[in-house]
Amino acid sequence: MSVAFKSAVDDSVVDELRAIIGDDDRVLPNLSSRVNRTRVPAPFPVHRWAEFMPDVAVLPTTAQEVSEVVKLANRLLIPVVPRAGGTGLSDGAVPVRGGILVDVKLMNGIHEVDLVDRTVTVGPGINMLKLNEELKRHDVFYPDDPASYPCSLVGGRIGTGGWSLLGARFGHTRDNVISMEIVLPTGDIVEIGEGGGRKLRKSSTAFNLKQLFTGHQGTLGICTEATLELVPRPEVEFAAFFAFDDYMKAWETVGVLTKAGLATLAGVVLFDEWKIAYLRRDDEAYITQPDSVRAVVAVAMYGTRAEVEPASKVVMRLGRSRGGKYLGDEISAGDWASRHDRYATPLHGRSKEGQAVLMSWHCEDAALNYSVLPQVREEWHAIVARYAERYGILDDWGMFAYTNGANKPWGDYLVEIDVGIWEERLDDENWAGWVNCKREISEVTLKHGGSITACHGATREGDAELVPTEMGGAWEVVKAIKRTLDPNNIMNPGKQSLDEAYEESLT
Amino acid sequence: MSIFRLGDQRPPEPQRIADGVVMRFEHVYEVDPALMELTGQQDVPAWDTKRIVDARWDHLDWMHDHFADDVLLAGEGSETMPEEGH
Repeated sequence: MSVAFKSAVDDSVVDELRAIIGDDDRVLPNLSSRVNRTRVPAPFPVHRWAEFMPDVAVLPTTAQEVSEVVKLANRLLIPVVPRAGGTGLSDGAVPVRGGILVDVKLMNGIHEVDLVDRTVTVGPGINMLKLNEELKRHDVFYPDDPASYPCSLVGGRIGTGGWSLLGARFGHTRDNVISMEIVLPTGDIVEIGEGGGRKLRKSSTAFNLKQLFTGHQGTLGICTEATLELVPRPEVEFAAFFAFDDYMKAWETVGVLTKAGLATLAGVVLFDEWKIAYLRRDDEAYITQPDSVRAVVAVAMYGTRAEVEPASKVVMRLGRSRGGKYLGDEISAGDWASRHDRYATPLHGRSKEGQAVLMSWHCEDAALNYSVLPQVREEWHAIVARYAERYGILDDWGMFAYTNGANKPWGDYLVEIDVGIWEERLDDENWAGWVNCKREISEVTLKHGGSITACHGATREGDAELVPTEMGGAWEVVKAIKRTLDPNNIMNPGKQSLDEAYEESLT
Repeated sequence: MSIFRLGDQRPPEPQRIADGVVMRFEHVYEVDPALMELTGQQDVPAWDTKRIVDARWDHLDWMHDHFADDVLLAGEGSETMPEEGH
């Protein structure tokens, strides 16, 4: 047997880490440093927080330091968990077997801005908002825009294969990373790009490894540097929100808008009846809307004024073509701006009795085709309603569907159901109920030909055990890759059912 | 260390404007205090409420500026709430 298990970190390991890092302030075995590096926005069961802490955290500043830390872990079979902003929504950066947590946030430099070949090379610890504040003076833009834009970091976006609010126009994380420097689970440092090029967008040499290293959830290596796409900074943005008295009219309108061939279309999002009911509780844009507002379609466009201005008139016409009513300039521009920063939203929900209570935000995402959205919506809400009634700690915050295809927004959607969990009432029984709820939601996704995650990652129980089912015959390929690159299963072990790759070595 | 005092900055009595929602200042909505029995709220003086509301607009403008040079508007008011349309 040669796989990593929990708690192989003792004082001698900490001493070795201090020798590698060369700065005791960047090797942190103390409790508060470990607690803080477990925290995520949609947490694992918080009443069992202690089970999810690393044994020690390190903050390297160079790829060489990361490499030496990983070599140490590989030699001693200690789990290694990479962590950037810790803003993920399914515990991808949360240790499940302790070990060494590699926090990359000190690797936050901008190493090169190449305005000729249009790339920027950065460390994985830089935040997109801060990066774009620097790029603005060059009139260029790195267009990766999650709902955690002000707080998530480039390295985490690469690790999770992040999805962007502007993906229909500019692509998602994997489309905007040109090449990467990766520390493999063996400690070797490799360049991963298109063929051997650091600044090339397309190559046919050997295999396309770049996609393998964007979205592995920290299970195949640690990104220590990334060369990213630069696009011209948009001259204008345009957002329009349309209200509907019926979900199906809104769904049809989404289809019309996404198939209109508007190249500047950055995203179209559909809020369902449950989401509108939730917003009516305490979102000033929706509280005073008439009861006839039951679904909303939001559209955003970016580009030159010459492109966006005429296209905006097409959007206004198509948005009304199935009975949509414009919500006005103020809500359209203001609500759209708030979409970049959803993590600032105060998180509270309602108990079964209607009382406001503090709740954490859990969101189940999936990738689903346009044709099945209405049916999936009904099945997902029915599942949450059943579990909410039984356990009394869940609150259905509604669903949205958001264009998912990079530059091809018409066929499939990131679909998400947001559920509040009353953490103060959480216990093992309630958590098990929630995990079962998640699993049923994911089973509906698979039944309708979808994928159980479009962006968050299938790294938490309730999703993880369904990964082999979703992957089908390709699961053997996945396991072979994992086993080959990470022979000792040290890199973020216990995620996505990848332990199955080592079962043969256990028998 | 300062301790804020409500004093004459005490907010006005709330008006009910929807199920579960009250309003003390124009367009500033609050959860109905009757629904806040399990989750306590601190008293907020009027000046602080106004500061927070004003800051939200600054925040949204700041966020717009990260993504484009200008915000293009349709130039139309609300069709669902005509009284607020311009």
